Amino acid sequence: MWYVWNLSILLSALSLVIMLFLIARRLLRERRDAARAGQRRQLLTALITFTEDRDRQTLKTAILSVPPGVAIEAGFEFVSLLRGEERDDVLVAFNECGLPALVGRQLERGNVAERIHAAEMLAALGSQNATASLLSALDQDRSREVRIAAAIALCDLGSLPLLGVALDKIGVAGQRSRRLIELFRRFPRTRFNELAIHASRVDAVPFIRAAAIDALARAGGFGFAAFFAGLTGDASPEVVAAALRALGLTGHADAPAILTSAMANDDWDVRAAAAESAGRLGLPELAAPLSRLLDDEVWNVRYAAANALRSFGQPGERLLRQIADSEVSRSQRTASLILAEGPAA
Amino acid sequence: MIADWSDEIVLAATILSWFIIAAGLAQTTIYLLQLVLAGYALSKRPPVARSALLWQRYGEVAPPIALLVPAYNEEVNVVESVHSMLALEYPNFEVIVINDGSKDQTLQRLIEGFKLVKFHRPYEDALAHKPIRGLYSSPMTERLFVIDKENGGKADAQNAGINVCRAPLFCVIDGDSILEPDALMRAAQPFIDDPERTIAVGGTIRIANGSKIEAGRVREVHLPRRLLPLFQVVEYLRAFLMARLAWSSVNTLMLVSGAFGMFRRAEVVAVGGFTKGSMGEDLDLVIKLHRHMRDKKRKYRVQFIPEPVCWTEAPETLSVLARQRTRWQRGALECFFRYRAMLLNPRYGRVGFLGFGHIFIVDVMGPVAEVLGYILIPAFWLLGILSAEYLLAFTSLIFTYGVCVSVCSLILEEAELQRFPRARDLAVLTAAAVIENFGYRQLNNFWRVKGCWQFLRGDQGWGEMTRTGLGAAKK
Repeated sequence: MWYVWNLSILLSALSLVIMLFLIARRLLRERRDAARAGQRRQLLTALITFTEDRDRQTLKTAILSVPPGVAIEAGFEFVSLLRGEERDDVLVAFNECGLPALVGRQLERGNVAERIHAAEMLAALGSQNATASLLSALDQDRSREVRIAAAIALCDLGSLPLLGVALDKIGVAGQRSRRLIELFRRFPRTRFNELAIHASRVDAVPFIRAAAIDALARAGGFGFAAFFAGLTGDASPEVVAAALRALGLTGHADAPAILTSAMANDDWDVRAAAAESAGRLGLPELAAPLSRLLDDEVWNVRYAAANALRSFGQPGERLLRQIADSEVSRSQRTASLILAEGPAA
Repeated sequence: MIADWSDEIVLAATILSWFIIAAGLAQTTIYLLQLVLAGYALSKRPPVARSALLWQRYGEVAPPIALLVPAYNEEVNVVESVHSMLALEYPNFEVIVINDGSKDQTLQRLIEGFKLVKFHRPYEDALAHKPIRGLYSSPMTERLFVIDKENGGKADAQNAGINVCRAPLFCVIDGDSILEPDALMRAAQPFIDDPERTIAVGGTIRIANGSKIEAGRVREVHLPRRLLPLFQVVEYLRAFLMARLAWSSVNTLMLVSGAFGMFRRAEVVAVGGFTKGSMGEDLDLVIKLHRHMRDKKRKYRVQFIPEPVCWTEAPETLSVLARQRTRWQRGALECFFRYRAMLLNPRYGRVGFLGFGHIFIVDVMGPVAEVLGYILIPAFWLLGILSAEYLLAFTSLIFTYGVCVSVCSLILEEAELQRFPRARDLAVLTAAAVIENFGYRQLNNFWRVKGCWQFLRGDQGWGEMTRTGLGAAKK
């Protein structure tokens, strides 16, 4: 039993010593933080002055007079507020003071949070070496979140490798992050074909394929309508639902037939997507299948169908009223609920 | 002296003492393991300091969230609380206040404060709850909805909110709590990074007693001036930063606090929502989620992340604290026995072994063994039945290891998060972490044993939770 006692004394004494050390460290840090706050104010004042007088030499002196960490943080914050020529001028000064190199070092040696932030800062600072540092992070960083941040930063700099290559480097686990939606939305138009290729790859993660379809639908426009129509026959319900929603944005000559068929799909998300797109495209000829969906076993499908009918204007509302006045059923209840939506009389 | 007692008595006393010490050892081992796991998790995932960065990073892809706020007799603070919730920094959210048949002017205050008008909103009757008397919306903001329903308890109110909300995620919060402005954005992060697997996320609850609160925001963080809430600060650090973070890192988190938790709606509906009448409805829900996902053989994550903070008011009097702790204990026992089939069941993997093992050792056996130890071990020693070795072992498990675990939680906080603003606060908390093991811990265990007794008697009362109100928190 003695070892239980001895070990407990040792551990608690050790914990108290560590805590005392941390308290002492905090005391020192409090002083350092106060000094840093002053230096930060000083640098921000210099940056504001620079936007008025454009005296680069004075700004560089101010940047070099504060610790690099303060210069990087305050500088990045300030740059994100600027646009155009002012921003370019400030970036030149930052580059001349070697800030991007320091950020590059942070990308290599910081903790995960610091490395992600460094990737974002490198994209904003846009130095010559930024691409090399970011490519290295995309290739070698241990954290998938950092690799995703590096990919987004590279995309902003116009230096992202081929999408397939970038996604391979991000890894399969990272291909379920919603951050990739952001990456796809930032894709340049000239590289939309890569998104399309990836969206049609049956071996790719459905979530990512759906995200690629969504990005194409938002920015690619009608040019991809036939492509989306083709994907509505995909084996993955997630991809089909995304393709149907995309069709709802772009439209297509075969949309009525495709949507009618999708409304009978086994997957509720596909049926709901078909109903939504029918409403968005304003296809009153789909009123009959939509009214059948008012009896769907899944609320989301019923609600999407009812909303679609309502979006058809008077004909849709008339149909909803007829159903609402009919015998009590699931369809009748859905129709009356949707008609009643809004402020009470 | 030992020789004066019959062999049978000595043997019985030794066996009993061994049981008590083994229970303490098991508990201490769990705590030490949690400390290691939590330290590793924190070092792997350091916090993002500035919330503006989070907005830049996640603002575009953040999923819609419904904030569900059950309110029962909250007339004093409800308008201010809702104002502060509406001012949260998140791109796409709605606030749904559920007036659970309050007997005071809660609904009237909301109607006046936000010019509410009756509103029809179609919703899914996915979960059962007491009838809704009316839905209200505000012409002042499209983010706010109020559900007025018959009284059915917190779980019932939350179920009504889940039915009415349309967002794929919902966040539950107590009506009298205060969320940090960036709390939703931080809590949503796992749902952004791993949207397919993440089904629930819990954040940190911190004690606001003593802090300066203005317009529904914590403006200056201070420690409580009274001893009881100060001990609870240490306790909450241990519970959140050590236990929850540790179990979260091995996907065995059994509790996402009902005071601040974010859930994926579809999975919660699939398990039937919050269990009505449960003493520990939050623990109950998370266990149901684990069971459901494991039964369906689906990959999932129930995560705790320390950065999103929700401030709450801790009880300042012994009587209120006693009621809270006995209720928590009844909740834990109720859930343990309701889902006992999961204990050590290989079908539920580490949830059955680690998660339920933890509840068994810490919540079921722990308080009883410890209180027995307070009485029997010194008595056996004084009577000369046991040697001093036993007394020392028990003392070390209760006091010295207790000090070590509490101080180590504080070390984790300071090493990675540094959320207490002054060095002086750390010194005070270190003192509290030592002192709480001499008196407060024993009191707590006594309340927990009382909770066990009430559970065995089938006592289902919640007891009155008297609060002074965060807006009126002492400065």
